[in-house]
Amino acid sequence: MPDYADLEARARRIRANVVRMAHRGKEGHLQGALSCVDILTALYGGWLRGKPGDPERDRLYFSKGHACAALYATWAEFGLIDPALLETYAQPGSPLTSHPDKGLMLLLEMSAGSLGHGLGYAAGAAYGLRLRGSEARCVALLSDGECNEGSVWEAAMFAAAQGLGNLTCIVDANGMQSVATHRAVNGKTSLARKFEACGWVTQEVNGHDFSSLHFGLSSRRRGHGVPFAIIAHTTPGKGVSFMEQSPDALWHYRVPSDEDLAAALKELAA
Amino acid sequence: MRKAFADTLCQLAAADERIIFLTGDMGYLTFDAYRQRFSKRYLNVGVAEAALVDVAAGLALEGYRPICYSIASFLTGRAWEQIKCVNAMRLPIVFAGVGGGYTYANAGPTHHSAEDLGLMCLLPGMTVTAPGCPEEVNALLPQLLALQGPSYMRLGRYGEPNYPAETPVTLGKIRRVATAIEPMVHILCAGALATVAVQAIRLLPAERIRATILQAHTLKPFDASILDSEARRILVVQEHLPQGGLYDTVCRWRNGAFGEDIVVERVGPADAVVSGTYQPITPMDIVNGCRRVMRLCQHRGGYKRG
Repeated sequence: MPDYADLEARARRIRANVVRMAHRGKEGHLQGALSCVDILTALYGGWLRGKPGDPERDRLYFSKGHACAALYATWAEFGLIDPALLETYAQPGSPLTSHPDKGLMLLLEMSAGSLGHGLGYAAGAAYGLRLRGSEARCVALLSDGECNEGSVWEAAMFAAAQGLGNLTCIVDANGMQSVATHRAVNGKTSLARKFEACGWVTQEVNGHDFSSLHFGLSSRRRGHGVPFAIIAHTTPGKGVSFMEQSPDALWHYRVPSDEDLAAALKELAA
Repeated sequence: MRKAFADTLCQLAAADERIIFLTGDMGYLTFDAYRQRFSKRYLNVGVAEAALVDVAAGLALEGYRPICYSIASFLTGRAWEQIKCVNAMRLPIVFAGVGGGYTYANAGPTHHSAEDLGLMCLLPGMTVTAPGCPEEVNALLPQLLALQGPSYMRLGRYGEPNYPAETPVTLGKIRRVATAIEPMVHILCAGALATVAVQAIRLLPAERIRATILQAHTLKPFDASILDSEARRILVVQEHLPQGGLYDTVCRWRNGAFGEDIVVERVGPADAVVSGTYQPITPMDIVNGCRRVMRLCQHRGGYKRG
């Protein structure tokens, strides 16, 4: 059983760093970055096995590339990169680009930015790992807006057909896209039912509740030879009230001002 | 070329366990022998070109050497952005587009692929090939699989003949098919039209034209050394739009600074959508192309030995 209080403290520090990075790097995408912090914390806080570079490590395909400030800050929190590196985020010459570039940062499993690729990559890797008898697991982290891309569903059908039980897809369902809500673009589409229709086992969880995330990630419903999707319901801008309360996609783009930063850090008690 | 491709694939896969073949629901019967022998290294991703490329990318990241097979038009057009991302990560994937040019002329404009080579040549660092016969497919495929980055191979149909040539098939080098003494025209081909050029060369003596035939099976990286050393009057023969393919590449040779002594002409489809009947390029079209080259030379003050 994970130490939830420890994970919550870590997630708070990660969020504070994400806001600092956006402020310093003048690069927004805070709604989607803050919404996936708890998911990343749960993954790095115990679910992902093996160290970077280990051929048997579990692999995270971070597909919602625009939110990578959260990934970098999570790496720093868990000692995978020097926290000082976060100060270079989105600056010229930094390996921490505002959309992740595997050519600059080997810790990444893939480059990302253009959406809809990660599930296909993870499915291909999952097939390849199984073929060579590896026990490593693959997890792709997508945004719900990203699920507009048809390639996600192409990959979902492929993964089901190949019975990729070593594949997990987590959707950070924060309900907000680039310029509109998920509902406005997709109507009442149920992502869970879409994955189920493709032959996946699915679990809906509260993406900000570590016990719920743990329940999803360790689910016994995970079948053998069936891929598993977790729809994590989240709040855009989670942890900073004035971002959470934004009725639209304002904080997908806005860079926090000095005052915004101070107010956010106060709320995050960091 | 398809049979040569499937046969070569079987030979290579037997020797290299990293090779894995992915199809976008194409190649009925063509890959049965491969599938029976290497069932776990045969993946039908479905009518899903984007996932075809993304799944291959995931496999390449795990050390496999994927080969993606689909219709040229769909693979290079529909999945161009996926291939662009693969190219940015320098993943070693071979993309094989079947039915390049107007192989599927009667199937309508959706199946026409007169821009596949251009789309692939647009990508920086991409290796782009258009073999003209089974022998070239057989020779190029292992060389593409040995690369550290992605590559494209345009495939034609079944049953193209091999043709005799003077030099072997080396990736990145122009293949010398037939050398004339004191050539008046260099016919520079890519893809299956090399066969038509070989037929045309028999018609040229009657026109008092001496021509050398070169096969540029590798469009990118393009080796201009033969052009530099001996070619001044060039006829590009290719089933591709003027923009983006071999003609475009030759037009950028010497940064386009040709001077008076160099003539570059082309035989190939116009920059137009083909609706209805496509007239395949004939040996006579190539003869006429040679005539045009000679006429242009005369306009410029006469033919000079180059």
